[in-house]
Amino acid sequence: MKKILIVDDEQDIVESLKFVLEAADFTCYCAYNGEDGLRLAKEIIPDLIILDVMMPKINGYKISRLLKYDAKYKNIPILMVTARSQEEDKLIGEETGADEYITKPFELDEVVKKVEEYLK
Amino acid sequence: MINILLVCDDITKTDKFHKIFNKKPYNFSILANEKFIADTISIEVPDIIIVDENAANIKNLIKIVKDKCENTIIIFYISGNKVDKELVKYANAFITCDMSEDIILSTININLRMKNSLDMLSNSNKDLADSLYRLNALYSTSSQFAGTLDKSKLIQYMIEGMDKALSFSLTCTLSLCTNEEPVLILNSLYELSDELITALKLRTILNYNSLFEGKQAPLDLNAENLKVVKQVKYPASRFTFTLFQYDNMFAPISLGDNFFGCIEIFKEASFTSEDSTCFQTIAQQVSLPLKSATLYQEIIETNAKLEKLERLKSEFISIVSHELRTPLTSIKNSLDILMSGRCFDITPSADKFLSMAMRNVQRLSGIINDLLDLSKIEAGKMDFNFAPTNVNTVIEYVKSALSEVAKSKGLNLITDEKENLPEITADAQRLEQVLTNLVSNAIKFTPENKTIRISSSMISSKDIKINEYFKDSIKLDDGDYVEVCVEDEGIGIAEKDLLHAFDKFAQIENSLSRKAGGTGLGLPIAKQLLEAHHGAIWCDSELNKGSKFYFVIPVVKELVQINVAG
Repeated sequence: MKKILIVDDEQDIVESLKFVLEAADFTCYCAYNGEDGLRLAKEIIPDLIILDVMMPKINGYKISRLLKYDAKYKNIPILMVTARSQEEDKLIGEETGADEYITKPFELDEVVKKVEEYLK
Repeated sequence: MINILLVCDDITKTDKFHKIFNKKPYNFSILANEKFIADTISIEVPDIIIVDENAANIKNLIKIVKDKCENTIIIFYISGNKVDKELVKYANAFITCDMSEDIILSTININLRMKNSLDMLSNSNKDLADSLYRLNALYSTSSQFAGTLDKSKLIQYMIEGMDKALSFSLTCTLSLCTNEEPVLILNSLYELSDELITALKLRTILNYNSLFEGKQAPLDLNAENLKVVKQVKYPASRFTFTLFQYDNMFAPISLGDNFFGCIEIFKEASFTSEDSTCFQTIAQQVSLPLKSATLYQEIIETNAKLEKLERLKSEFISIVSHELRTPLTSIKNSLDILMSGRCFDITPSADKFLSMAMRNVQRLSGIINDLLDLSKIEAGKMDFNFAPTNVNTVIEYVKSALSEVAKSKGLNLITDEKENLPEITADAQRLEQVLTNLVSNAIKFTPENKTIRISSSMISSKDIKINEYFKDSIKLDDGDYVEVCVEDEGIGIAEKDLLHAFDKFAQIENSLSRKAGGTGLGLPIAKQLLEAHHGAIWCDSELNKGSKFYFVIPVVKELVQINVAG
């Protein structure tokens, strides 16, 4: 079974993503802040990461950059989830290496479809 | 008294004149040695000077007289009938040795009368020149007043104008308008001692308080809070307290309820009534530009406040959008899961209410997106990806995206694209947003079995027809444009609402359209997006007949970077 890491400080969103992804036969790991997310990513080396942008401690852009510039993890696809806020706008344009951007609110089915595409 | 000077060293001649003039109203004096002429006439200017033809150095003597007192009458005393041509040039008259006393007196009197007339003329001329000079000074000062809205400069121009027109010894200008604190500006010919400055300060405070006797003064003025600025022309000399014996004038500088300060002016010679008029005029003239400057300053401050508010508003919207979007995502996700039937079987009535919740989540999310877009555009923070774009591609995309929706409402969505349209420099995604909005509106407001038509064409700026409601607010550069028109057979827009069609939240006023859904932000966003493309949007509409929404975007032959606001 493919491993998916979901990183978002909004637990409800993590919960719903986990529900649909598990229903689609993926194993899900969850982190509720950037620090845990980064640690888990390195620990379990997931097949794909769903990453929120605005999070306390380490934001999604930073995590993406750290992973994408590391040969060990750079092949893990990253789906970045954004709420298009002003703080995020300031960060946009920074080279983060994320593979895909998903805007909140998103369609759960769309996310599942995208995940399946990347893990074919 | 009439001053008569005789230049002659011949005693017989001097005796003759002595007899004639040694009585009232004459003041007769004799100069035997012409060397002392300069000293003599500088002590007392003669009205008439009689010069003996035999006097030494006549030419030099005449030159000195002409230089020092040009209005003095020069008469030569000659012995025969022959006259030296050189002397004729300078002479006002001649007296010969054979003339009787009466004839000599009458010659003198005629010349005196002439001199009086000349003096009067010369005085009038001088007055006229003075007035002209003063008028010029007033004119140049008022031109300077008109040229600036800087209060310090206005006060400075006023003082300079006073100097030009009145040549004062000292001005004390109390200004309450140029600084945070009241300032006493002293413009002085000579240096002022500290004691004198203190005295002038107290005097100014007294003057100031006397202006508001029995009333509340705009500011409580005292020697401590009054700052002094001193400008001295000749610092080598000093004024003493005798300054207070000089002639002086005082005027407030105010307009209506606005009090800007006051001015007192000192001069050693006394002021004339013209001086007073001139002084009052300048003091009054400066009040109006000072008032304008005050208003101007207020406008600038208000503008700065408004700009700050506008920025805060944008930031607020941005933050709120973010905060709203996150919980909305959770609600939407939960609804998605429930509606998928993965938790339990959905009964028809459950489906109805779940769909209702979902529809409204989508609507809310649309509103948030619109708000965010608008605040971004208004803050100049919207990013555009300008690239050569074919409008027909955009039309095709929107048609394919919305034809299902149109069909479900029983509407006929057709396109009429002009072939071989030139490419425009545009952000294709934003154009899609504009066109999607226009077509969605048309779908919303058009009843069944009717047609919605999207057309494109190429048009020159001079052929663009904008109706009178929008003409004034749209300014387009000359050149070629691509025009897109969305035409429907819907409910139309009433004439009174047409002008506000592109205003923010205009739809909220209209209950009919509210039923149709939407935020009322679509059209204002479209307008702003098109303006960022150097284009424009407007509409023609007739109630119950239908609407035509047009937008144009310039065809740029050479691909130049379009600067987006912000």
